[in-house]
Amino acid sequence: MSRNRPGIGQYVLLTLLAIVFLYPIWWAVSSSLKPAAEIIASPLSIGELTLDNYRAMFADVPIGTGFLNTALVLLVKGGMTMVFCPLAGYAFAKYDFPFKNVLFGVVLLTLMLPTLVLIIPLLLEMSALGWVNTYQALILPGSVDAFSIFWMRQTIAAIPNELIDAGRVDGAGEFGIFYKVVLPVIRPGLAALAVLTTMNIYNDFVWPVVAVNDTEHQTLQVVLATLAQNVTGNRIGADFATVWGELLAAGSIAMLPLLVIFVLLQRHFINGILAGSVKG
Amino acid sequence: MRLRSVRLTPYLFIAPFFAVFGAFGLYPLIYALQLSFMRWRGGSQARWVGFDNYLYLLTSPEFWSSLGNSAVMWLLIVPLQIVAGLGGAVLLANAKLRLRGFFRVAFIVPFVTPLVAMAQVWIVVFDQDYGLVNYLLNLVGLPDVAWLTSTAWSKPTLALLFLWKTTGFAIIILLAGLQAVPGGVYEAASLDGASRWRQFWSITVPLVRRSMAFLVVIQTLAVFQMFTEPRVVTEGGPYGSTTTAGLYLYDHINASDLGTGAANSFLLVLLVFGLSLVSVRMLRPKDEVS
Repeated sequence: MSRNRPGIGQYVLLTLLAIVFLYPIWWAVSSSLKPAAEIIASPLSIGELTLDNYRAMFADVPIGTGFLNTALVLLVKGGMTMVFCPLAGYAFAKYDFPFKNVLFGVVLLTLMLPTLVLIIPLLLEMSALGWVNTYQALILPGSVDAFSIFWMRQTIAAIPNELIDAGRVDGAGEFGIFYKVVLPVIRPGLAALAVLTTMNIYNDFVWPVVAVNDTEHQTLQVVLATLAQNVTGNRIGADFATVWGELLAAGSIAMLPLLVIFVLLQRHFINGILAGSVKG
Repeated sequence: MRLRSVRLTPYLFIAPFFAVFGAFGLYPLIYALQLSFMRWRGGSQARWVGFDNYLYLLTSPEFWSSLGNSAVMWLLIVPLQIVAGLGGAVLLANAKLRLRGFFRVAFIVPFVTPLVAMAQVWIVVFDQDYGLVNYLLNLVGLPDVAWLTSTAWSKPTLALLFLWKTTGFAIIILLAGLQAVPGGVYEAASLDGASRWRQFWSITVPLVRRSMAFLVVIQTLAVFQMFTEPRVVTEGGPYGSTTTAGLYLYDHINASDLGTGAANSFLLVLLVFGLSLVSVRMLRPKDEVS
């Protein structure tokens, strides 16, 4: 398909597809900046711009708390993934030790399991540990996963053994080799793992919504999901326009951080998504 | 001394991973299996009931209707996504395309947005009385459609959300498969007088079969676990028409019926495994055996 110069029809089709993918986001963001009543009265035109929906939304839900909680979970949970998985992946890629294959086999076995299977036993585990409504509950489950270690092992296995032996000859300790030789070489892979992990943790909803039921620990996505209820609860008889204005404001502000990171790091993102798909 | 430290080293390296993986991955998995053979409702004592939970589910109309809803979702989503994904990938595969980077980014943007936020945008856009979609339909003289409030349209409307969010991802996966096709193959085919359509069917499709099989497997997993879309947009309604297998599982948790929930999740695992095996088999290139 690479020999012909692309025709005008191809551009038209691609542009149509791009509009389909981008318009809902554009509409949501631009509508969130309109006076609430206008969202229903004239959904297509943009006249006066206002931050009223945002002000009302900030008053109705603790979205700031949601952002802070998500940031905290992202930092600690993501940090654990980024340290533990490359380290273990290195051991599986470059060392021989008893029970190596058995241990790795156990990890692979869980690769294909739907995550929903773990929800119920994890909930019981959390309540047995007294961790319901805690940050530990949000952070620890899912902080390492079969896929990340599998992928790190693949990436590190591609490093020539000579490079590692050279480090050993230079007198570096075992951890020194990992830190000074292995990590710098797999930097693109680490960058892709970081963006994929960030995306998964930031957008996660299923676990946070069952693990936490107080406002203090709600992550951003959970705060978002409770918004409509809060608006109608706070103002009896709130009309559609009010609720929608706030929904769109909250949605827009929640999309923003990832979209900005995505546009800045899109090459790593797309590599991460592609590498993530080696999973199958 | 040196030797001993090397022997211990790999265990030290995998220890943190396995500590967390064991406590919050393996242990709950085994616990879930045990739980699926127990009756445990609310605060009462758990007791062993053998296969009762499984039998209860297999004879429960709600269980089958949740599977049926998910199966319809699968039919609405997966075939369409493969076709659209392949189309998009073929359009993007041309190396001489201008703005290629822009299109690639534009297609993948929905994949990066939070699902909860977009699900709420769907509520607004597809509202029967005041939504944007019906407003546009009215502009061209068409009547309102009950997108989220009729059993006929609720599934397609949710399927559309899933398609909107993940088809760009499918395009990128298939594009990666397409670019692995050596350009020379097409030149040779052109010289032999094969039409572009013929080339598409006899070169492109067979060569991206592996990527297609991969997509079908992960999207089958995703569709049968679908939870956030119905939970946020329709809460499983109207009349249970969007109570997917994933949402039905959550209902057991809400009802504190954990044994049945665990059994339900293992039935789902078996189903998804079976479906994945069948689709991989069907999409396997013809020259590969066993």
